[in-house]
Amino acid sequence: MNQEKFRLWDLPTRLFHWALVVAVVAAIVSGQLGGNLIDWHGRIGLFIVGLLAFRMVWGVVGSTYARFLQFLPTPGKISAYLRGEWHGEGHNPLGALSVFALLALLTAQAGSGLFANDDITFVGPLFDLVGKSLSNRLTGIHYLVANAIYVLIALHIAAIALYGHVRKQKLVKPMLTGWKDGEGESATGGGALALVLALAVAGAAVYGASGAWLPAPPPAVETPNW
Amino acid sequence: MKSKLLLALVTITLAGTAAAQAEWMGLPQPHVSKAPAGTPVARVKPEDAIKWRQSGYGFMAWNMVRIKTNVEGTYNKEEVIKAANAIQAIANSGMGALYLPGTDKGTGWEKTRVKPEFFTNRDWVNKAALAFIKEANEMAKVAATGDAAATKEQLGKLSATCKGCHDDFKIKD
Repeated sequence: MNQEKFRLWDLPTRLFHWALVVAVVAAIVSGQLGGNLIDWHGRIGLFIVGLLAFRMVWGVVGSTYARFLQFLPTPGKISAYLRGEWHGEGHNPLGALSVFALLALLTAQAGSGLFANDDITFVGPLFDLVGKSLSNRLTGIHYLVANAIYVLIALHIAAIALYGHVRKQKLVKPMLTGWKDGEGESATGGGALALVLALAVAGAAVYGASGAWLPAPPPAVETPNW
Repeated sequence: MKSKLLLALVTITLAGTAAAQAEWMGLPQPHVSKAPAGTPVARVKPEDAIKWRQSGYGFMAWNMVRIKTNVEGTYNKEEVIKAANAIQAIANSGMGALYLPGTDKGTGWEKTRVKPEFFTNRDWVNKAALAFIKEANEMAKVAATGDAAATKEQLGKLSATCKGCHDDFKIKD
């Protein structure tokens, strides 16, 4: 009986992952329902900006398996994996493709949303920077990218189910506990300083995206009283 | 009594015949929209129709934002009533008459962003339009009460009916 296990996903990576799951689901629901929830859609979008910024930094300064370079899906690695000759830990090369695609699409989605409008009452916090016609373009992109995200989420979940049933690999449990059964080298790095740095960048990103730094609208003026 | 009934019958028949004849004579120009039987319809040029419907939505946008500003900041009952009444008036103005056949393409103040499907999914669009009118009427009622929380809630419901059409029938370029 093999009792061995090793540290795979550090806590910040796991918190990021599950917070992103909750936020994306909330963004989809609020975006679909609209009405007053559209304001929440905007707030959730800002939160997702923060999460993504955090992950970008954590992908450089985080612990072993959270680092982008560790799982960079090079053509060599992908073909080795497809031939069944890849024996690493963490994201496998195909999974890594999915990770990068999801991060890129979610970044495009959150980014375009900041400038979008719904032709009702909602405008993204940075709408004023681009004006209506460019905002309309970006809104169109926001709708398109949403569809691509649905596809990737479906793939993501299907892949987890497939690995679980066919390959008997439990992918969810390590993402919950951080530990993976079997032999492997535990993750190192991603200390307190790295965490502070990632959080600081995330905070700055949310501030920038919120448009709080934009000039205040002109004050109310006297207008004809009819 | 009997003669009155007969008179009414004759009147209706005549009116119907006249309408049918006008159509047979080819009187309705391509610019004339089909309204429910008996509704007189003004002749509207396609580019005017597109312009006016864009104006309608643009003017409503001002008033929607106006209500939103009031529920988010200091609530001014009179302002909200004015805005809600304006939206109600436009909602009940029969804007459907501006969706002439063939105006899925064309330019008013800007290129129209209505999808061709808008003209082929009549039942769906009618339902969405009626839902919008219903919530616009309710918006005016709620505004009259001066209840800020209720106004906010109703604005959400009204916005959702706008979205009902935007999602499916507005071109996202």
